Amino acid sequence: MENKKLLRDLSPVIALALIWGVFAALTPHFLTPRNLSMLMIELSTTALLALGMFLIILPGHIDLSAGSGVGLIGGVASVLIIQHAWPAPAALLVAFLIAMAVWMGMGSVIVKQKMPAFIITLGGLLVFKGLFWLVIRNSTVPVAPGGSWNLYSLLTTYYLPHAAGYALAAACAAGFAWTREQPDPERRFLERFTVAQALFLFAFLMNQFRGVPLPVVILGAAAVAVTVLTRLTRFGRYLYAIGGNEEAAVMSGVPVDRVVIGAYAIMGAVVALTGFMQTAYSGASTTTVGELMELDAVAACVIGGTSLKGGRGTALGVLFGALIMASLLNGMTLLAVAPEFKFIARGLVLSLAVWLDTRLSRA
Amino acid sequence: MSREPILRAEGITKRVPGVVALSGVTFDLAPGEIHALCGENGAGKSTLIKLLSGLHAHGSYEGELTVAGRPARFRSVADAEKAGIAVICQELALVPEMTAAENLFLGAEPTRAGLIDWASVYGESKALFERFGVRIDPRARTSDLGTGQQQLVEILKALRKDSRVLILDEPTAALTETETAVLIGILKDLRRRGISCIYISHRLEEVFELADRITVLRDGSTVATLDRAKTDVSAVIRHMVGREIKDLFPRRASAPGKTLLRVSGLNAAAGGSPRAFLKDVSFEARAGEVVGFGGLMGAGRSELLMHLFGAWGRRLSGTVELMGVPLGAVTPETALERGLALVTEDRRRYGLVLEHPISFNLSLSSLKKLTAGLLLDLRLESSRNREQASALRVKAPDLGVRVGGLSGGNQQKVVLGRVLMAEPSVIFLDEPTRGIDVGAKIEVYEIINALTASGKAVVLVSSELPELMGMSDRILMLHDGRVSAEFAKAEATQENLLAAAMGRARN
Repeated sequence: MENKKLLRDLSPVIALALIWGVFAALTPHFLTPRNLSMLMIELSTTALLALGMFLIILPGHIDLSAGSGVGLIGGVASVLIIQHAWPAPAALLVAFLIAMAVWMGMGSVIVKQKMPAFIITLGGLLVFKGLFWLVIRNSTVPVAPGGSWNLYSLLTTYYLPHAAGYALAAACAAGFAWTREQPDPERRFLERFTVAQALFLFAFLMNQFRGVPLPVVILGAAAVAVTVLTRLTRFGRYLYAIGGNEEAAVMSGVPVDRVVIGAYAIMGAVVALTGFMQTAYSGASTTTVGELMELDAVAACVIGGTSLKGGRGTALGVLFGALIMASLLNGMTLLAVAPEFKFIARGLVLSLAVWLDTRLSRA
Repeated sequence: MSREPILRAEGITKRVPGVVALSGVTFDLAPGEIHALCGENGAGKSTLIKLLSGLHAHGSYEGELTVAGRPARFRSVADAEKAGIAVICQELALVPEMTAAENLFLGAEPTRAGLIDWASVYGESKALFERFGVRIDPRARTSDLGTGQQQLVEILKALRKDSRVLILDEPTAALTETETAVLIGILKDLRRRGISCIYISHRLEEVFELADRITVLRDGSTVATLDRAKTDVSAVIRHMVGREIKDLFPRRASAPGKTLLRVSGLNAAAGGSPRAFLKDVSFEARAGEVVGFGGLMGAGRSELLMHLFGAWGRRLSGTVELMGVPLGAVTPETALERGLALVTEDRRRYGLVLEHPISFNLSLSSLKKLTAGLLLDLRLESSRNREQASALRVKAPDLGVRVGGLSGGNQQKVVLGRVLMAEPSVIFLDEPTRGIDVGAKIEVYEIINALTASGKAVVLVSSELPELMGMSDRILMLHDGRVSAEFAKAEATQENLLAAAMGRARN
């Protein structure tokens, strides 16, 4: 039984090693600094949205509107900049606040009217998609006026200077050593050593290309924030309690409505941030930005061990799940796999992951 | 027994990794006999039943099972059913959305030309109900039936399959007194028809009313098989616990102090209903006092507690004061903050997050006290959890264990611990000892004593009159949402409590 649990906990790591092994064997380009850097930028949007989705799934909800929202919010910012000549920071801020308000509204409807999240966010998926196409008038709206750069376009094109990359790695290693509690001194040293080494290796690899990409820094900050939120705050504890047994949570004095609405508000912020990064990565708002991203986010959660019924999962698992999904797409693109087969492969991997998880969690 | 037993288990030993769940258990059941199985939680009753019903397949244990003299090797529940053995579990296996008749024939629907023959489903169901004098409409939706009626449907479902042996696991745990009486009548009737029954219940009064013989298990072994006629309750308890229990209800009254909770003229209605369900309820609970509430199921006892706690209904009129301060419309969240706590009747549904560890559940209602700045103080949390768990003597290897895997008594202690960590001054306990064994019951009673000794007020709802009389300092009886009588501890007898529960004595 102990072995089974260990296998379940390690299965995302094993799957990731397998995927990387296969791609590395099939193409020499997969493990180059240039491609790894691309992979990291692609990962950052998938993983960021998945982290938000994780906070929604934990209390047993779901957000199907996230992908459409990514397109819409990115589009709102682009349109404000290009067609209304707003400065980029103001446009981003306004779009961000709109997203938080809209998601809070959806959360309130779901909680107060006792509507299933599935239905309300499915409605959101369609409405936001329609609004998105209205806002950009079915055209292509760039994130920055022809050839120039702004805060918006820099989101995915800025790389940290090499020295800053190393400094950040050092800061992260120090942060880990400072916060991680490990009573056994031998293991403590081993853990610190491994983490520090991994961080420096990462910075080194990224510096072989252009440096540590800004999206990775944003993702890292988000991952730390979600980890702290779920492990060290009342809010996080309540998310697990609601997902585990909502009735008992109510009777235990958990402010269920406020907590769930709060989770949706955070999701709004995450959707906005993902929207900016995803649109910036495409260079412009086009009708397909964000399409099906909600499903990748759900898939990343599930592959990373989050229970769709709620109450179980970790942020680290979700990151791994997202890395698996992003690696799969990246590798297949490198191999020039036809889009139809990319869809099929992603679907199969998702089903396989869930099947494995149910098999291994059976006592 | 001169007749050949219909079911016999001999020298049964069952090992689960790490423990011996049963060791050398011998048990037999005569045709037309009701044989009670008693023992504390973890004594091995469930394991034995799982074996007899084919859930633990042949080969996973040592020893021999025989049915009517022939060796039985059940590989599955279906095998046991074929041999005429049916189990009625604590959690009913009925589909709530189906009618009673549909449930009776679930999985064995009679067909004509490949389609379900509904006429014979309903015809045969009606005949079956009539044969046993059960007044249930075969077309009634199962979820609309009472728990007792649902239980009868389940029993008849087993009998429809020509079962000769019924195994009933805590069948009366969720039944009202009337429903229990009906069930007992039917079991006696079945005995006359030659159907044997293995009966498991924590309620020894029932055991003594029904059983022909009583087998006591303790720590996986048979301690004794007793003739009902030649033994008594205290002997059975002694065998179960393995020591003498002097006082089943060790209430230590403390001098009542100032009034902590005052309810006056309370009228409250269920969610959408305009009519009051709780009518003109007034009472007070003082520091150091246990106020007992009795009454039949549906009299409004749980609703009263839930309403005051902010989890049921709408207040029409009346006032509630907690420690002298008016308590308006509360939610469980604000009620707990104000010092009012509730331990609900259904602990698995309302009390615990079963998939999470003991520690998670213990601190869930007191996280505000365990927060420093924005973040939880995990060290403080774990030390508080450990203190509480050891004060209540929660038995588990460590606090990381899943709550869902604990025994009923330990689960109840975790719920109590969670509530107590919120440091309430008035504690509502709704059926706090339901489905837990004698030893754990007494521990719960000792917790009640400790609470009142430290100046808290306890409001106790119980369906078991001996418990209500034994543990309360004052008893109020509810009938039809109204307080029908109040008794001081000395005045209360089973007779006048029951009369008040039926609404006959009003004062």
